[in-house]
Amino acid sequence: MENEKLTVSDRVIVYMVCALILVFTGGFFLSAKRDFSENENRKLAQFPEYSFTALKEGRFTDGIKEYVTDQFPMRDEFLGIHSEALRMSGRKEIGGVYLAGDGSLINAYEEPKNIDKDITQWTKLADNLTDARVSLMLVPTAVTVNKDRLPKQAPDRLAQELYERSGLLPEGKSPAAVQQSDIDRIYSAMAGRADCIDVSAALKEDAEKALFYRTDHHWTTYGAYIGYQCFCKSRGLTPTALEAYTAETVTEEFQGTIYSKLNDPWFGSDSITLYSDPSWELTVDYGDVGSDSPYDLSYLDMRDKYSLFLSNQHSFITITNDAVPEERGAIALVKDSYANCFVPFLLNHYHTVYIFDTRYYKGGPSKFINEHPGITDVLILYNMGTLDSDTGIGGIY
Amino acid sequence: MVFSSIPFLFFFLPAFLLCYFLIPGRGKNVVLLVFSLIFYAWGEPVYILLMLFSSFVDWCNGRIMSSLHAFPKLRKLSLCIALLINLGLLAFFKYADFAVGIWNSLTPWDAKLPGIALPIGISFYTFQTVSYSIDVYKEKIRPERNYFSYLTYVCMFPQLIAGPIVRFESVQKDLHGRQVNESGFVRGFKRFLIGLFRKVLIANQLGELWELIRADASISIPTAWLGLLCFTLQLYYDFSAYSDMAIGLGTMLGFHFPENFLYPLSATSITDFWRKWHVSLSTWFRDYVYIPLGGNRVGVAKHLRNMFAVWFLTGLWHGASWNFVLWGLYHGILLALEKYLWGEKLKKWPKLLQHLYAIIIVVIGFGIFTFDDLHELAVYFPKLIGIGVALPLSGDLFWYAGNYLPFLLAGLIFAFPVYPRVKMHLQEATSYRRRLMNLAAGLLTLVLFLLVVAGLVQDSYNPFLYFRF
Repeated sequence: MENEKLTVSDRVIVYMVCALILVFTGGFFLSAKRDFSENENRKLAQFPEYSFTALKEGRFTDGIKEYVTDQFPMRDEFLGIHSEALRMSGRKEIGGVYLAGDGSLINAYEEPKNIDKDITQWTKLADNLTDARVSLMLVPTAVTVNKDRLPKQAPDRLAQELYERSGLLPEGKSPAAVQQSDIDRIYSAMAGRADCIDVSAALKEDAEKALFYRTDHHWTTYGAYIGYQCFCKSRGLTPTALEAYTAETVTEEFQGTIYSKLNDPWFGSDSITLYSDPSWELTVDYGDVGSDSPYDLSYLDMRDKYSLFLSNQHSFITITNDAVPEERGAIALVKDSYANCFVPFLLNHYHTVYIFDTRYYKGGPSKFINEHPGITDVLILYNMGTLDSDTGIGGIY
Repeated sequence: MVFSSIPFLFFFLPAFLLCYFLIPGRGKNVVLLVFSLIFYAWGEPVYILLMLFSSFVDWCNGRIMSSLHAFPKLRKLSLCIALLINLGLLAFFKYADFAVGIWNSLTPWDAKLPGIALPIGISFYTFQTVSYSIDVYKEKIRPERNYFSYLTYVCMFPQLIAGPIVRFESVQKDLHGRQVNESGFVRGFKRFLIGLFRKVLIANQLGELWELIRADASISIPTAWLGLLCFTLQLYYDFSAYSDMAIGLGTMLGFHFPENFLYPLSATSITDFWRKWHVSLSTWFRDYVYIPLGGNRVGVAKHLRNMFAVWFLTGLWHGASWNFVLWGLYHGILLALEKYLWGEKLKKWPKLLQHLYAIIIVVIGFGIFTFDDLHELAVYFPKLIGIGVALPLSGDLFWYAGNYLPFLLAGLIFAFPVYPRVKMHLQEATSYRRRLMNLAAGLLTLVLFLLVVAGLVQDSYNPFLYFRF
């Protein structure tokens, strides 16, 4: 080592890396700092506020570390490089995302910790209602429906195969959970209070179709149509045939929430197809603005294109379809974002559809529903993947 | 601050190197000291005072001892006071909770746990200052006159946090006049990069896999073994990569730090392993505990006592918890067995079997090392022989190993001295082939560096195992 001759190639390599470091350091100081990452859908760290206490407790220096890491030049590209390198190394799972055999991305199932709280809140709502008939629809996510697309030996796949074979849960696994078993558990707890609608079987039957987006955690409009068929069966309604709708593919460049976790262009993008009925005569009241369509196409220019369904987030939406006589009654939905692309299918069966987003709607939907005797049906619709992160559960009663 | 982080690589290091190389002569020491203090205060803004105090004690002690030539008894007293203060601080800040816990479990009088957070690097710098005091006492080295020079030795940021445990004698000359030149910079930087790659690209990935396996309560037998192997590799790469980076930084600045890891996982016996693993620590214990006790030039009983002392302390040094003590004694016992029972026979075995023998013992050892909760250890270890597993053989090995296969293979291959061998071959190669290889090496370095940055920006799993030792 000591008397080793300095080779030209060593010099070139070392100075190249040094130059690279300086380029990024310079880039950091020259580049504009961002408040928010659309891609990661989170606020980025800003320069920490100095105080002697913060310094003493180490919060100040930790804050600087977060700041320079979050604001690092080409952050998004580096995230993509990281995922792509792992993918090329043969990884079949990256940070809770399975890389399915067909190139789609599937979130691993994390058992919701608040199932008991969910049951309590839904029960409260059902008990508070005087007349309306309550249905509960829990939608399994791709990890269950597209189980066979998961990599072989993936823990979620093995766990589900075990559950299907023997009804047993894998012991001591983490996650020690199977989505279907959680649905079964909630349904048996809610039995008698709500009509529990099974959508798992119907979705699985159609599993070879595109029921879920390849890069997003939501179901596609076609998946929602299958859910709608299940709802109709349970309520004794005749579903409108899919062919009766006008189908329109509005984008092929949708990169959803799971894509954002990896940010790797290798995984491509999705198309979004909208179904509308030519007979609709709609008035959509978002509370602040009005519209004549449940689709807000202005979101196509943005990153989160799924928000085009029901125009993203509104605490309370009323949709009336004058093509349907008023005697057919009204339905109220208590739901998460899975319902946003499901609602349009209901419009042919009810004169009015009321949609609550209990994250923002205060006072509990039951009061409103009881005051409006026209509401004959209440549908609680949630997907199993985001029950825990849903901050609106407490607002259901 | 950690070497493998965005703040260090892109802000601290360029700023430091710029100042260091621009400022001439003795000013370089000032730059090094100031940046080292910032480096330490970054992660330990309060306990930096403790480090300043601790090094001040030893510097004073050195001065006092050198002026008391004629009074051997007073010199001894001065040494004892310095050792008492240093080891006392280490005992208090590192072992108080552990000691109170033992007291509480043995006696009916429960005391409150002090709940002291361990100051970063205290085990390392205490050992450096202690070695300084003893060496001055034994007149192996001349005591340092200038406090700031001495402080620079103790808190020099390349080796402050996780070693190697550098003796004063190996830097004294460099502190007062060293060669800072381009050759050192390039060689040191290259070594630093190698360490960075080993840490971020191998240790972090295998550590992630170990965490997954550890969290999975229903693993099969092969996966249980894979888990311990992963932890062994993680620890080796984490720690030796830190030494690589430290030695590399030292070389850049003109210092000569001792090598700390000599491919320990390629050892052929436990005796061999300890000649290669964390060399600066084992030689420290050899020189300041084992030999003063008489080493092996005593009767068998006394020799065994000396070994017990050294390995009990080596274990305890790694952490204030029983599992570390157990780990130390486990190695002590195996070393004694090799010394007195099968060491000679072992040498006649085929080489491959010797390697297997050593690696299996080492891996089991690190199994003890990793569980500082002995209950967890008691749950995990039976799984290695199939007790408490749902299915002794299931597909989970393919899932875990398959997902991390390139990292596992790289981890296993580079645990052996592959790189030096390739380099030797390269020197014998024709100039055309050499040029081709150099080009490949250059491209590879750039790609690996970008991957490191990607890994750090992504801020995924990036622990530092020896941070708290």
